[in-house]
Amino acid sequence: MRYPKQVAGDQRRRQFEEMYSANCAAILGYALRRTDRSDDAADVVAETFLTAWRRLDDVPGEDGTRLWLYGVARRVLANQRRGERRRSELGDRMRAELSAVHLDREYTGRSKEIATAFRSLSDPDRELLTLVGWEGLDHGQIAAALGCSRNAVRIRLHRARARFASAMNHYSGRPVPTIAHVNGNAGD
Amino acid sequence: MSNSISRLAVISDEQASHLVSAAAHADLAESIMAADYAGRPGRQPARTGWRAMRRRWMIGVPAVAALAAAALVATSLGSPGDKLGPVSIGPAKAQAALVFTRHGHYIDVIVRNPLADPRRYRAEFRAHHLDVTLKLVPASPSIVGTVVYFGGTGTSAIKVITAKERCITGGGGSRCPVGLRVPVNFRGQADLVFGRAARPGERYESTTTATAPGEALHGLTIRGLTVRAAVRLIGQRHVTVPVFHVTSASGLGAIWPASKVPGNWYVYDADPWAPGQVMLWVGRSRVPHQPQPSPGTPVPSPAPASAR
Repeated sequence: MRYPKQVAGDQRRRQFEEMYSANCAAILGYALRRTDRSDDAADVVAETFLTAWRRLDDVPGEDGTRLWLYGVARRVLANQRRGERRRSELGDRMRAELSAVHLDREYTGRSKEIATAFRSLSDPDRELLTLVGWEGLDHGQIAAALGCSRNAVRIRLHRARARFASAMNHYSGRPVPTIAHVNGNAGD
Repeated sequence: MSNSISRLAVISDEQASHLVSAAAHADLAESIMAADYAGRPGRQPARTGWRAMRRRWMIGVPAVAALAAAALVATSLGSPGDKLGPVSIGPAKAQAALVFTRHGHYIDVIVRNPLADPRRYRAEFRAHHLDVTLKLVPASPSIVGTVVYFGGTGTSAIKVITAKERCITGGGGSRCPVGLRVPVNFRGQADLVFGRAARPGERYESTTTATAPGEALHGLTIRGLTVRAAVRLIGQRHVTVPVFHVTSASGLGAIWPASKVPGNWYVYDADPWAPGQVMLWVGRSRVPHQPQPSPGTPVPSPAPASAR
C-alpha cells in the first residue's frame, strides 16, 4: 500500500517542480515590476508558489498555469500593500540575493509624466493596463488571470484606458496619442 | 496606450531571472514542498533529501538522455564536421559558439565555446528557427560549459544530452548535461542556461558540491566538523567562508554572515560561493534536522583532479 502513495507524492513534486521552473522567472518579473523594494518580490514569489503547492490540483495546465499564478500573485501583492506582509522564512536565499538589487523607479521627461498619470489610477485600473503593457496578455488571458469574463475585461480595460488618457492630459497637458486604439486588441 | 505603460516596465522577465541564482530558486521550491503538504494528514511527501533536491534544481534537468545521445556528443565534441550520419550545420565550425548537428527529426545543440558573446548564441539559435534563449551564468569550475538550468514552455519534447564522467552534477551523478536534443519542429520557447567561468570576486550562480573533483574543497572531509575546525582546514587551501547557510530546527534555512555563527556549531555541507570562497551549511546540532544528506551524495574520488 505504501508504494502507490509514494508514487503519488513523487508525481506531485515533479508536477510542482515543472511548474516552478517554467514560471518562476515570469512570476518574479511580475512581482519586481510592481514592488518598490526588490526583496519584497521574494515574498510574493514564495507566497504565490506556496499557494500553488497547496492547491496543486486546482492549477490549470498548459497556458492556464501562468495566468493562474498571475492571479495568485496579484492577490498576494494586494495583501502586501494592505500591510498584511507575511515575511515567511521561505525564500531567504532569494531575498538575500534580491536585497542587493536597486529598483530604479525614478523617471524623467515623458516617462515621468506617464508614471505620474499611471500612479494616480486605482489599483484595478493599473493592474489591467499593466497586464497588457507589461505581461503582454490579451483580453482572454486577462479574463483567466482575473477570474472574470472576457467581455468584462474588454469593458473595464476600455474605461481604464480612458481614465489613463484623461490623467495623462491632466499631468502632461498632452493627449495620449494611442488612445484611438482603445477598441483594438490588447497589446496595441 | 499600452506602449506608454511599457515604458515604465524597467525590468523584464529575462532581467529578473538574472537577479536570482538557480540555487536560490532551488532553495525556495524545496522549502515550499517541505513546509507544507496541502494539509493531507498522516503522510509526508516522498523526500529525496534536501541536498538531493537542491542539486536537482541547480541542474534543473532530468539526466535521462539515451546512451545513443551521449555517444553522439562524444563524436560532435571530438571531431566537428567529420561525421558520418549527422551533418554539422553550424556556421564556421571552428569559430561557432554552438554546434548544431541535424540527426533525423532532431537537432543536437552543444555549447562549444562557453565564453562567447550571448548575442552569438541567440543569433545561432535564430538561424535554426529555434526560440531558445541562452544565458550564461558564472558557475563553479567543474560545471563550466554544462547545462545548469533548462525551462520554458512546451519543452517536454526536448531531451538533455549528457556526457558521462564529464563532471559530477549537482544531483551527484556522473552524467553531465552538456547539450540539448531539440525536435526540428519545436514550436515552444526554451530557456537554457549554461555555466561559464566566474571572474575573480564574482559569485557563482550555479554550483555543484564544493568537494566534487575540480572544486575548491575536493579531497577534504568537512562534514561533521565544527565550524571552527572546518574554517581552519579550509583556510589552509586559502579558501574563505564569507557566509553560512544555517539550518534551523524547523528545517528551513537562512543565510548568516560569518560573524554570527558560533564556532562550536557543526558543518553539514559546503557549496562553492565565488572563486576562492565557499558557503558552509551549518547548524547547532551534529546532524541536520531535516533528512540527512542523501546516500547518493558524491564522494571525492581518490585521484585529485586539476582545478580547471
